[in-house]
Amino acid sequence: MLPIKRQLRSLPLKNYVIRALSTSRPSLHFPIDKKTSTSQDEMDHFNQLASTWWDVDGPQRILHKMNLLRMDFIQETLRNSIDLNQDVESPDEEIYIPGYNIDLLPKPIAEQIIAEQELKREELVKSQPKLKALDIGCGGGILSESLARLKQIESVKGVDLSTDVLEAAKLHQRLDPSLHDKLQYRLSAVEDISKDEQFDIITMFEMLEHVNYPNEVLKSALGHIKPGGWLFISTINRDFISWFTTIFMGEHVLKIVPVGTHHLDKYINETELQDWFKEQKDFKVANSKGCIYLPFNGWSFTDSPNVGNFFMAIQRTK
Amino acid sequence: MSLIFKRALATAKSVVPPVKTVDVLIIGGGPAGLTLGASLKNSSITKDLKIELVEGFNLDPVKKFYDETPEHFTNRVVSLTPQTINFLEKTGSWKFIKQDRIQPYDSIVVTEGLSDAKIEFDHHSMATMVENVNIQSSLYQRIKELEQESELKSEDFGLNLRDNTRVEQITKDETNQWPVVHLSTGEQIKTRLLVGADGFNSPVRKFSGIESRGWFYNRFGVVATLKLEFPVFKYAGWQRFLPTGPIALLPLPDDNATLVWSQTVENSEMLTKIDSEIFINLINAAFVLEDVDMQFYYKQLNKGETEGLIEDIQWRINHATQKYSDEQLEENFPLKVVSIEENSRARFPLKLSHADSYVSERIALVGDAAHTTHPLAGQGLNMGQMDVQSLVGAIEKGMQRGLDIGNPLVLEPYWADRYPENHLLLGVVDKLHKLYSIRSEPIVALRSFGLKAVNSMSLLKDFMIGKVSGK
Repeated sequence: MLPIKRQLRSLPLKNYVIRALSTSRPSLHFPIDKKTSTSQDEMDHFNQLASTWWDVDGPQRILHKMNLLRMDFIQETLRNSIDLNQDVESPDEEIYIPGYNIDLLPKPIAEQIIAEQELKREELVKSQPKLKALDIGCGGGILSESLARLKQIESVKGVDLSTDVLEAAKLHQRLDPSLHDKLQYRLSAVEDISKDEQFDIITMFEMLEHVNYPNEVLKSALGHIKPGGWLFISTINRDFISWFTTIFMGEHVLKIVPVGTHHLDKYINETELQDWFKEQKDFKVANSKGCIYLPFNGWSFTDSPNVGNFFMAIQRTK
Repeated sequence: MSLIFKRALATAKSVVPPVKTVDVLIIGGGPAGLTLGASLKNSSITKDLKIELVEGFNLDPVKKFYDETPEHFTNRVVSLTPQTINFLEKTGSWKFIKQDRIQPYDSIVVTEGLSDAKIEFDHHSMATMVENVNIQSSLYQRIKELEQESELKSEDFGLNLRDNTRVEQITKDETNQWPVVHLSTGEQIKTRLLVGADGFNSPVRKFSGIESRGWFYNRFGVVATLKLEFPVFKYAGWQRFLPTGPIALLPLPDDNATLVWSQTVENSEMLTKIDSEIFINLINAAFVLEDVDMQFYYKQLNKGETEGLIEDIQWRINHATQKYSDEQLEENFPLKVVSIEENSRARFPLKLSHADSYVSERIALVGDAAHTTHPLAGQGLNMGQMDVQSLVGAIEKGMQRGLDIGNPLVLEPYWADRYPENHLLLGVVDKLHKLYSIRSEPIVALRSFGLKAVNSMSLLKDFMIGKVSGK
């Protein structure tokens, strides 16, 4: 269980393999070409895959449910990063932000304060340029689509290494007319993306634990973040709780995910990532939260990012 | 080339009718549908949604009500809870309510026809009587105001109301499975989310395949708008449980009042037809006389024998009330009804129904499309308003999460939030109806004891008021 920390620090640069979420199922890694994408057989196959990937009551339900929490995490982090009084010249124009729990105030007053803050926040978001996002390991596009529907997002690029799930993602994208111009998918590894392409938001959800050399993947991702931009990641702590929930219960008892999806030795501890980012110049960890899945209740946040699954938000400071 | 192009155009024109695409299509322009439209446009998160609202009837009375308010009260009056009013205030529509046509009341006196048991609930402004059309009008005015505030052209505002338009058929789009609603005008509207605010016989629910369960009570509600002998001093609601069903007299401003009387099928038909003078006397009798007397009058009237009936009723009322002092009279009986608004009598069948689910992919049901209840607790419309509040919250949350608002993951929390609460209320009202339909003496004695016991426990009563008024 030790090698991860070592891997994070020093790794061979060549021949690394990124395994996306989808590789747990046997998939064909052939390059996209027009012939295959138009054959009826393939279409039928992708159709079937698309319908199960996107069936919220189907085998991917747990992932769909987790996506709700991912979006909450992203939104919360972005919201909290906005300084409501950034452009204020005199103290009279300041939006009041109490230095204590707002729920202690009488309800109508608390509601009024929150409404004022919301109004100001909305104004500020509107005045800022729209954001460009990159979703690494986008799979069937569950998160990519969600990002693309947000008003403050200009465009989303989803990349993955599995052609079949990318086809499923593209097929599903076509069903919603509001996504046509905002979202594009590419068969690409993160290190193959051109250095000129810079993003405001990069996401790597449920992806690092499927990668052999997370150090390199993270480094590549950091190279594409604009100053002030964000990296959102999620992965799993390497501990007994994680083994029990994700492997023992998830794969073997409840069979929510296919056997072989997870490998405990590839899990990364939250503290290891914290340490790793401390060494990266111009980046700081802005938010970190644990999350847990309870049957009948879905996913919810916990205050312990160092147990089980966790989310992390990293901002480029300069 | 050009020939083919022309031909393609020609066929497109003759075969394919124009299809409009929207985000939310609301079927039904009643209070629930209009509240949903207004709230979605009022929310900063959902205000950019493209919404279409389709109503089968003519909305002219609703559109004109604010500027050309009719003199008389209409007969469709509902009791709004403080919770509902609070929600309408947040939506911004309450300020458009014609305040001189609504009546808050502070207590409700409940008695029963087979014993002298009585319970009184007191709470400042525990509920407010409002005409349906007043609510609809206030929402319509709010929608107009929001359109003006948006400073957009009306076709860009994104909430289009169309009345006199029926739903002919609902199908699914072949490419993306979105619902397509075919209208009586020949137009088609394709929608991301289809909301059924279309009442008990909801076409949207039928299209969705969601089962609705329940039963008819074999009773009709008779409504009428009435005048009392004096303007009321203390505004109260009066309700008496008779074995045929409860009768309720609820206050409107000054000397006006509104009636909801649940009756057997035969009696309800008779009540809507008999001479209005007899009708008035029967209402007064129903709050005072014993069940045997009422049964005798129903029998006579169903046979068509009316001679000397009014005199008999009045003599018996006098006989029954002469032992009371004026003060006791005021405490135990409502003011006498002296006249009735012309053509205000109507009846409707009473039933209980509850849909198994309120949501499925790209479908949501609100209000009577999801549940109908006996009017004895005055909760039907309030339940619908709380549905709308919850659904708007679910859609806001879904949009903040970047989800497609037709996605069941967006809609399911709305159902999970409302179903248990509605189910409980439907059940309690249903049991009350059944309990008070029983004539068996031991049961009457037990329920009277229960009612009196509850009446003496103020804590329990406060809890009950809190439950129904949402305080």
